[in-house]
Amino acid sequence: MDCYTANWNPLGDSAFYRKYELYSMDWDLKEELRDCLVAAAPYGGPIALLRNPWRKEKTASVRPILEIYSASGMPLASLLWKSGPVVSLGWSAEEELLCVQEDGAVLVYGLHGDFRRHFSMGNEVLQNRVLDARIFHTEFGSGVAILTGAHRFTLSANVGDLKLRRMPEVPGLQSAPSCWTTLCQDRVAHILLAVGPDLYLLDHGACSAVTPPGLPPGVSSFLQMAVSFTYRHLALFTDTGYIWMGTASLKEKLCEFNCNIRAPPKQMVWCSRPRSKERAVVVAWERRLMVVGDAPESIQFVLDEDSYLVPELDGVRIFSRSTHEFLHEVPVASEEIFKIASMAPGALLLEAQKEYEKESQKADEYLREIQELGQLTQAVQQCIEAAGHEHRPDMQKSLLRAASFGKCFLDRFPPDSFVHMCQDLRVLNAVRDYHIGIPLTYSQYKQLTIQVLLDRLVLRRLYPLAIQICEYLRLPEVQGVSRILAHWACYKVQQKDVSDEDVARAINQKLGDTPGVSYSDIAARAYGCGRTELAIKLLEYEPRSGEQVPLLLKMKRSKLALSKAIESGDTDLVFTVLLHLKNELNRGDFFMTLRNQPMALSLYRQFCKHQELETLKDLYNQDDNHQELGSFHIRASYAAEERIEGRVAALQTAADAFYKAKNEFAAKATEDQMRLLRLQRRLEDELGGQFLDLSLHDTVTTLILGGHNKRAEQLARDFRIPDKRLWWLKLTALADLEDWEELEKFSKSKKSPIGYLPFVEICMKQHNKYEAKKYASRVGPEQKVKALLLLGDVAQAADVAIEHRNEAELSLVLSHCTGATDGATADKIQRARAQAQKK
Amino acid sequence: MAFPHRPDAPELPDFSMLKRLARDQLIYLLEQLPGKKDLFIEADLMSPLDRIANVSILKQHEVDKLYKVESKPALSSSEQLCFLVRPRIKNMRYIASLVNADKLAGRIRKYKVIFSPQKFYACEMVLEEEGIYGDVSCDEWAFSLLPLDMDLLSMELPEFFRDYFLEGDQRWINTVAQALHLLSTLYGPFPNCYGIGRCAKMSYELWRKLEEEEDSEAKGRRPEIGHIFLLDRDMDFVTALCSQVVYEGLVDDTFRIKCGSVDFGPEVTSCDKSLKVLLNAEDKVFSEIRNEHFSNVFGFLSQKARNLQAQYDRRRGMDIKQMKNFVSQELKGLKQEHRLLSLHIGACESIMKKKTKQDFQELIKTEHALLEGFNIRESTNYIEEHIDRQVSPIESLRLMCLLSITENGLIPKDYRSLKTQYMQSYGPEHLLTFSNLRRAGLLTEQAPGDALTAVESKVSKLVTDKAAGKITDAFSSLAKRSNFRAISKKLNLIPRVDGEYDLKVPRDMAYVFSGAYVPLSCRIIEQVLERRSWQGLEEVVRLLNCGEFAFTDMAKEDNKASSESLRLILVVFLGGCTFSEISALRFLGREKGYRFLFLTTAVTNSARLMEAMSEVRA
Repeated sequence: MDCYTANWNPLGDSAFYRKYELYSMDWDLKEELRDCLVAAAPYGGPIALLRNPWRKEKTASVRPILEIYSASGMPLASLLWKSGPVVSLGWSAEEELLCVQEDGAVLVYGLHGDFRRHFSMGNEVLQNRVLDARIFHTEFGSGVAILTGAHRFTLSANVGDLKLRRMPEVPGLQSAPSCWTTLCQDRVAHILLAVGPDLYLLDHGACSAVTPPGLPPGVSSFLQMAVSFTYRHLALFTDTGYIWMGTASLKEKLCEFNCNIRAPPKQMVWCSRPRSKERAVVVAWERRLMVVGDAPESIQFVLDEDSYLVPELDGVRIFSRSTHEFLHEVPVASEEIFKIASMAPGALLLEAQKEYEKESQKADEYLREIQELGQLTQAVQQCIEAAGHEHRPDMQKSLLRAASFGKCFLDRFPPDSFVHMCQDLRVLNAVRDYHIGIPLTYSQYKQLTIQVLLDRLVLRRLYPLAIQICEYLRLPEVQGVSRILAHWACYKVQQKDVSDEDVARAINQKLGDTPGVSYSDIAARAYGCGRTELAIKLLEYEPRSGEQVPLLLKMKRSKLALSKAIESGDTDLVFTVLLHLKNELNRGDFFMTLRNQPMALSLYRQFCKHQELETLKDLYNQDDNHQELGSFHIRASYAAEERIEGRVAALQTAADAFYKAKNEFAAKATEDQMRLLRLQRRLEDELGGQFLDLSLHDTVTTLILGGHNKRAEQLARDFRIPDKRLWWLKLTALADLEDWEELEKFSKSKKSPIGYLPFVEICMKQHNKYEAKKYASRVGPEQKVKALLLLGDVAQAADVAIEHRNEAELSLVLSHCTGATDGATADKIQRARAQAQKK
Repeated sequence: MAFPHRPDAPELPDFSMLKRLARDQLIYLLEQLPGKKDLFIEADLMSPLDRIANVSILKQHEVDKLYKVESKPALSSSEQLCFLVRPRIKNMRYIASLVNADKLAGRIRKYKVIFSPQKFYACEMVLEEEGIYGDVSCDEWAFSLLPLDMDLLSMELPEFFRDYFLEGDQRWINTVAQALHLLSTLYGPFPNCYGIGRCAKMSYELWRKLEEEEDSEAKGRRPEIGHIFLLDRDMDFVTALCSQVVYEGLVDDTFRIKCGSVDFGPEVTSCDKSLKVLLNAEDKVFSEIRNEHFSNVFGFLSQKARNLQAQYDRRRGMDIKQMKNFVSQELKGLKQEHRLLSLHIGACESIMKKKTKQDFQELIKTEHALLEGFNIRESTNYIEEHIDRQVSPIESLRLMCLLSITENGLIPKDYRSLKTQYMQSYGPEHLLTFSNLRRAGLLTEQAPGDALTAVESKVSKLVTDKAAGKITDAFSSLAKRSNFRAISKKLNLIPRVDGEYDLKVPRDMAYVFSGAYVPLSCRIIEQVLERRSWQGLEEVVRLLNCGEFAFTDMAKEDNKASSESLRLILVVFLGGCTFSEISALRFLGREKGYRFLFLTTAVTNSARLMEAMSEVRA
């Protein structure tokens, strides 16, 4: 342990920098790094290499190879570059590789070398060619900035939502800038460029010259510039070997350093930690690496090989042909604990725990010391925090062990921080494994969040690990396991060598009915890969039939979509499919489809009834549904047609349809109606008045009321009105006319088919008791009582009822006995009843 | 006399929450269109809207003028127009004509369409076809449950009946499922579900799907209502077709109760203007007589009048202080009661005038004969006379349907002659009405049925019972038969009465039809609740032609539901229910210690059913 701080290098009085190995790389590089375009994604992301065609003049016939490795040097993809010459490579925030070509086209590849899409940076770029390009990251996503052959800049702040911005011209710019970078301030991307001794800032509208404060005189050009990970700081390297470090706004100088090396550095990047006061820049030359900051001395490393710097949130990754290292400022907690002769509580606790393991009493002494100062809580916290910043699991363990040891002597130390740190470290150690190759530090991990880390694992197709992490961290299924399974399934459907059945089965076995998995999404992906059959199979597993429909429609499986929509019970969905079908199929097929789906058919019919009457007719025609067709024309004869001729014609069509439907009754009725209509028309012409659209009964009544008895008789005969009806009709009509004479004549014309009780009734309705009495005498014996009651002659009714000895009649009369007037009658009936019962 | 509830009867859940919910949502929607606006309301929505938000609430939210959606062109000068409509195509065309007229005139206004209870894709499509889809904004007011009374929820969708049972249009089923879902989120899950009928089954399944898609949050809730029973109207047309003789039903048949209130005309109010009266449990007089057989009502009212008089009379012997007390405290209540009493007496008189005549007695007699199945010839003649005399087109139609259903269809001769007579009396357009009735199974011809029955009985002797059931199903799908007679026998719907049925002290649910008939729908509910399943009722279910559409869903853990909630039963009538059925179930509840709650697509009666089936000349 004595030598634990051996790799710590002090910079000034207050900070230490350490460099440790992440991986020893065993990638089999065919080219030297210096001959390649290199792009490494931040947050321990992948590395892309493409032999730079401009560096070495080789015959153009040899196509370069684009290779993608994990941070640990595991090959992820390798493909022959067949497109045009590439100027620059870069990774987007979604870990997509952007390859900027000389002609301004940007090709986008996935992590596994799968081509995703491409876009162009505009005509101006195409004409003037790309001189240089940078991929940069802002809070909105990843942007591309391009310097064209005409020394103009074009940029897009977000490649996901491509909006090209052409930056203003730098006045009098004749040659390419010596160096340039993108800045991001107030959520807007700017470009800072150096031309000779001058610096220019290009923003939205204008180009302005800027001067960094405190720059010593004698600078004739800037060789390199670097902006920090968070766009807060800027470093400039001048041709005098002077390094200016300040804020990115160029308003304030933080520190400066003169390294006296005039050779242009290969790379310069910031190396700072969030929330740290220390500012340091790492500068790399061919064989030398220098860390400079606010101190007179710098830290120097010798580089044995070609190396490449990758700026990170809290340090710098340095990789070469054989190793991959991380250089960072030692975090406060680690420094406190491990600094030589540190008396910080954490350091003492670590010591105490070691002594305790040795079963030495010193443990107690150390512990007592901490407790006396009341710093045990702080000590535990320090150990936990420091554990997070350690790369080596053994160091993590010993720190955590110390923390756990210290916790024993504390009441109510909240366990969350310890538990979470243990969990996080487990996750980190798992992803840092060289098979996985994501060397995240604790700070990066926290910045990235577990969700994004899981996404990245999914992107690397490391589904089992991702699921294990979800289960280990007990993430809710919808966010965790099922999301990953869904991704896995989406990947699975792309495996073209496996049969549809196998893929579908495999997916269903794994996914089952995990909540939150959308089979329709997976199916959509399968369809996207051109596997329609598989998509249909997968859709079968989708429990919500409503979800299946849109995709089925897209796949032109409209009929299947229709039955699924019907299954879902959502009529709107059915309707959507119907309209789709209507446009897709010819009319005949469309109707045939409907025919097999009664629910859809009735839905469509309802719609047609209101909106497309003609279609409705066609629909019935197609089905040979003559019954409905007849009804349709009948309805038309009332609603659509105005003229009599039109109406009769419609009725004729209806009657024909009814005959075809073998509905003779309806056909006859319709024909009668045609006759009646014509007749009514004639009556209107000849007699005046309103006849049209009256019912037969009303027509005859109207005729009688108008005194056209002959006509009425004729009509009744023509339309075979039954006697009973005719009698009722005449009776009512004549009574209405109060033509009592005619009524009497009528009553005597022959024996009434409806009896004479109705005569009594109708006369009473017209309050003509005199006439009523006439007929009462003619009422048959079985209705006599009723007739008398109608006349209001309760006493006589009672007599008749008693005579009949009819129980029902007796109670009927009794129910009509009201109050005092009929008291005697009621008694009489009661007596008769009593007598009847005796017998 | 008035039915008191048993002391252990469970408390009813608070339905006023539904009103508040609907109001808040409407206000939210109105606020989406800030500033003054004119509101166009569909006629059918006016009464329900009135129960939710009155004019002053609308005015508070900057509704300037109110218009009715009708065919006349509207003369609104507002810059913003808001339409509150049912999702119907004709409304869309109305709106389109309005918007297009504005366009022609070069006028620019804001339009918003609020669909209640939901919008349909077809409506949006019509807007699109009319070229105004981009000019209007669409919203949904998910107002599907209107509490008409403490125990009665109505969806106020009378068109449900025709749309589903005649046109086979299943659009509203989703609305029903949504409404059930809302109820279960508000009042906890329903541990026991029963249902019968195709529509009931579909609604139930869709509702279940909705519940599954929802997060399991509600699952931990204690159920407030222990049972839910879904029932299709076409399981029991008979009950709905009978003349109602319970007071509330009779008021509905005579005056038409609309959205829980009734317009009493001058003949009732005994002054020269009509009066709109809200009929619910808050009307103290009404709540005591609503479930009574009409023959008791008059006696009750006169007793009540005497009591009231006595209370008024008390003031005679009062000193000043007592009088002051009387005036300040009791008088108002008495006056109120007085007013209501005189209204109901007026209504009774008016009903008596219409119903106690010879005709009505004959009518009831005929109905009872039909239900019991005797003197069919006589009844048929009665119906024929009824038609010949043009008594009332709706009544005649109702009797024909009743005859058809109780007799498993009319014999061909009668079928033809009655139809001919009917068309001669009421117009030939009813050819379409008959085609509708036939499709809905309300008025059918017997011909093939009898032959089938013969074959069926022969076949069923040869095979096992189970197979026989299947064969019968197969036959019945050929000719949907009501089997009313057989069901009636099985379920004992016609009570055997020795002597007079005492309507003052009802013995069973038959009292709602003067003791002649127990409503089939209510009897089914009673039987299922008794058994807690359909077990033992297989034969009835088969006779009802819905073997595959009867279901029971019992909760695995019944313990979560309190015994109180298990005595609350929500009955859902798909296609409407009548006040007689409500009264009958209220009676059953009192007998057994249950409380029934009712959810219906609309309150209906025989006239409404017949009108829904009639084709009226436009």
